[in-house]
Amino acid sequence: MNLISGIDVTAGALNAQKTRLDIVAQNIANAQTTRGPDGLPYQRKTVSFETELLRQAGSPGNAASVQSVRVGSIQNDTTPGQRVYDPSHPDADSNGYVTMPNVNMAYEMVDMMTASRAYEANLSVVKNAKQMAMKALEIGK
Amino acid sequence: MSSIGSIGSLQNPYLSGLIPSTRTDAPASIGNLSGVSAPQTGGVGSSFGNVIDGLVSSVDAKQTEASNLTRDVLLGKNDQLHQSMIAMQEASTAFGLMLQVRNKVVDSYQELMRMPA
Repeated sequence: MNLISGIDVTAGALNAQKTRLDIVAQNIANAQTTRGPDGLPYQRKTVSFETELLRQAGSPGNAASVQSVRVGSIQNDTTPGQRVYDPSHPDADSNGYVTMPNVNMAYEMVDMMTASRAYEANLSVVKNAKQMAMKALEIGK
Repeated sequence: MSSIGSIGSLQNPYLSGLIPSTRTDAPASIGNLSGVSAPQTGGVGSSFGNVIDGLVSSVDAKQTEASNLTRDVLLGKNDQLHQSMIAMQEASTAFGLMLQVRNKVVDSYQELMRMPA
């Protein structure tokens, strides 16, 4: 049982958002990678979250049960990448075309800002929960 | 017949015949108040020292956990920066709670010491 209530839920959310930011970083870093371990161009990764039951009060599915969040799966975005004509490229095919990764920089930026803001929102939950605990301790003064 | 104060000694022997010697408004017996019982003399587990000891050791456990997490982050074994910070805040809050309990206990002690005055 934690002294600061609900902090483990928020910690799970922080962890999930951090993973999402890591994946965005990986996508941006590999935006020009035309050859991965499998020899194919890099495919953009997407993160999906799922709820995680922390403490269960009453029956399953009860609204009173505490649900945190965790990264459910990291999947490949299978939309085809852009084909660029560049015969001098080492990974160009016989027609001189290179398949670039399907990373869209604008999407990644939006994803990054969303993850960053969600992280901040959870941080302010932590801050407020701590302030509430400290205010409760001031009852004794 | 009150034995405290000076009223008992001022009893006029002539008046004692007029005033009934048993007071009807006196409490019947103080020893048998309902709902009030003598404090249980608990075993070793519930002594005051053990309570404080348990409090201190649980605060210490939180601080050890926080310092372990922080060390892991600093050593690069773990990238859960927020977990480390949250553990530190938990430890700090637990320490604050322990301080408040200590203040309350010391206040009660000092209040008891002021009792004769």
